[in-house]
Amino acid sequence: MDSDQTCLTAFEDTIFSPTRECSHRDTLTQAVLDHGTTMGVMGLDADMRVVLCNRLATEMLGVTAPHLWRSVCVEQLLAASTRLDTVGRLAFKAALHPASAGQHSGMVGDGDGRTEITLSDGRWLHMNVGRTGGGYHFATLTVEVAGGVPAERIDGLTGLSDRQWMHERLAALLAAPDRAEQVAVLLIDLDRFKAVNDSLGHPVGDALLQMVAQRLGSAVRDGDVVSRIGGDEFAVVMPASAAPETLGERLVDLLSRPYLVEGHVAIIGASIGIAVGPRDGTDTAALVRAADLALYQAKEGGRRTVRVFNHEMDTRARARHALQDDLRRALALHQFEVHYQPQTNLASRSLVGFEALVRWRHPERGLIPPDRFIPLAEEIGLIVGIGEWVLRTACLDAASWPHHLAVAVNVSTKQLTDVNRLPRAVAAALSASGLDARRLELEITESALVQHEKEALQILHALRAMGVRVSMDDFGTGYSSLSQLRSFPFDKLKIDRSFVQDLSNSDEAVAVIRAIAALGASLGMTTTAEGVETEAQEAMVRLDGCTDMQGYLVSRPVPAGDVVGLIERLAADQSIRLEEAT
Amino acid sequence: MSTDLFRVVYCSRNSVPAAQGDPQAEVARILATSRANNARDGVTGALLYSNGCFAQVLEGKLAAVQRTFERIQRDPRHRDVIMLEATHIQVQLFGAWDMALAEHAEPAKAMAILSRVLATPNDDAGATVVSLLDNLVRHEGDWAMAAA
Repeated sequence: MDSDQTCLTAFEDTIFSPTRECSHRDTLTQAVLDHGTTMGVMGLDADMRVVLCNRLATEMLGVTAPHLWRSVCVEQLLAASTRLDTVGRLAFKAALHPASAGQHSGMVGDGDGRTEITLSDGRWLHMNVGRTGGGYHFATLTVEVAGGVPAERIDGLTGLSDRQWMHERLAALLAAPDRAEQVAVLLIDLDRFKAVNDSLGHPVGDALLQMVAQRLGSAVRDGDVVSRIGGDEFAVVMPASAAPETLGERLVDLLSRPYLVEGHVAIIGASIGIAVGPRDGTDTAALVRAADLALYQAKEGGRRTVRVFNHEMDTRARARHALQDDLRRALALHQFEVHYQPQTNLASRSLVGFEALVRWRHPERGLIPPDRFIPLAEEIGLIVGIGEWVLRTACLDAASWPHHLAVAVNVSTKQLTDVNRLPRAVAAALSASGLDARRLELEITESALVQHEKEALQILHALRAMGVRVSMDDFGTGYSSLSQLRSFPFDKLKIDRSFVQDLSNSDEAVAVIRAIAALGASLGMTTTAEGVETEAQEAMVRLDGCTDMQGYLVSRPVPAGDVVGLIERLAADQSIRLEEAT
Repeated sequence: MSTDLFRVVYCSRNSVPAAQGDPQAEVARILATSRANNARDGVTGALLYSNGCFAQVLEGKLAAVQRTFERIQRDPRHRDVIMLEATHIQVQLFGAWDMALAEHAEPAKAMAILSRVLATPNDDAGATVVSLLDNLVRHEGDWAMAAA
């Protein structure tokens, strides 16, 4: 074996090719490789002779007596390895020969020169192969510590692997030669974690994340990859054959159970999105995106749920994105309009004012009602801008109406977080329009008050000090907490339309309306019944003690240009009624 | 003055399908494990099983109670865990028991109290359950002494 003989010529403490002079530079290179890196490093020439190899590489391979050789073919080095079995040796060689890569079991590669080989002690050897031209190539080697994850891929807080490790494992599994095994990725997002972190402090939040990690670890099977991929986001990578949805449901239950942490009880929830590769995505990015869409749906679907990706989600996501893009341009392109719906006094049927309602005139889709775009605008942070535009426009329009008529403008939850912004916007809108502050009424919902109680109350008091009136919208549908009514002296309660619609067939609806009207009367608040569509409903809400009403019976919302005509028509109607009554 | 002693009270529902085993045998197994763990960790308390529901009191040093509670939380044999009380205490009420099994002379009464607590857990629920368990355990002790 001549070639083998030549291979066995020059190998000292370190390996150099016998054809090269051992210069100071080579000695330096070797010293750097031996002491300056935590990776195993190996360099080979076109004939597969090892021309460079550091101490860590020989240790990783379990080559115990490198001094036997003065130069070496890779076969001989591998033959001396105590850590590689036959399959491992073939895999190692195959990784250096891209032409034969992927043909040996015991090895997975992602086609990018990256390979993992199982060592005889069960740990994984990671190989990265690169080429430098002239047939020379090199391999960097790392070995996973116990637990399967290299130290630099471990999240310091929870001890789980990190996002990059999740991506690497996913990439490796997707590129596995045996595609028959499908891989599932579960993306897990904690609900309410931020609230706990804010109220109990970061140390408690950190301890909670550690407990979450332990609960995750206790529920998955050996070999599943559990990673912390963000502040309060986790992921599990597992075989699709091992019932990922069942695990997902178990995890939602497990993570949503109360935690006792540093003497505090913390209650959070979890939402999970699942995607299966290569079915839902053939590469890591596509698969994670699919799982992310499923996660989004899970969160939309009321949280504490599991959703598995389907292609309809993708279609919907694309439609949403298109709508989002259009929405971002809508304000600049003047596509919003304010329509006005009259509010009348139930006793006299006289007009008291209008509620300003925003509409979006989309160039292709036509007039889009608020429930179709307001939630989207809230989500992508456009609502504050839209809300302020509506406020300015409504004040300008109302300034041209008869002076006894008020205008009501809706305020979004998102406008109640910054204590300075809304009062400033209101002051600016009033001064630009010249509208008397007492003619402006702002409508806020109960849930807005619950979510940002401290800021909201501060804002409401600032508005009240300016003379602006404040009403509570959709009363009866949310928390309907009496303590909220005590927390701020509202001018008006607007009774949700659902009660008015149920009036004819539900005694409970009658009771609720009556109770709210009585409550409003005793607290000195006006009560407006919303959604009144028939004369019968009008008669009932009047009988039940409401003071005002709003609804299709009087008029649908009309464009600003039609308001003056509507005012005239309503005045005429009222005089006819008065004549009829006398 | 706060002490390092802590107490948690919780209720949960059995999630072992009846087909997969006798609940009483399961409770006996839970009790055995919990007594061994608690003796080691210095945790005391009481457990009641009634009509598919568990009520449990755990007392001891905060760290040990937290560890025990977390271990119980990860147990798939129950679900719908509702925390009724978590508070610093001065003395361990069930100090004499690694984990007393509160057997009840009047099962219907215990069942009614538990179902009410599970249906509408309010601020008093913790105290209600502690006093229920305390009574049951005391009676058991009396009975045991009388028998001796």
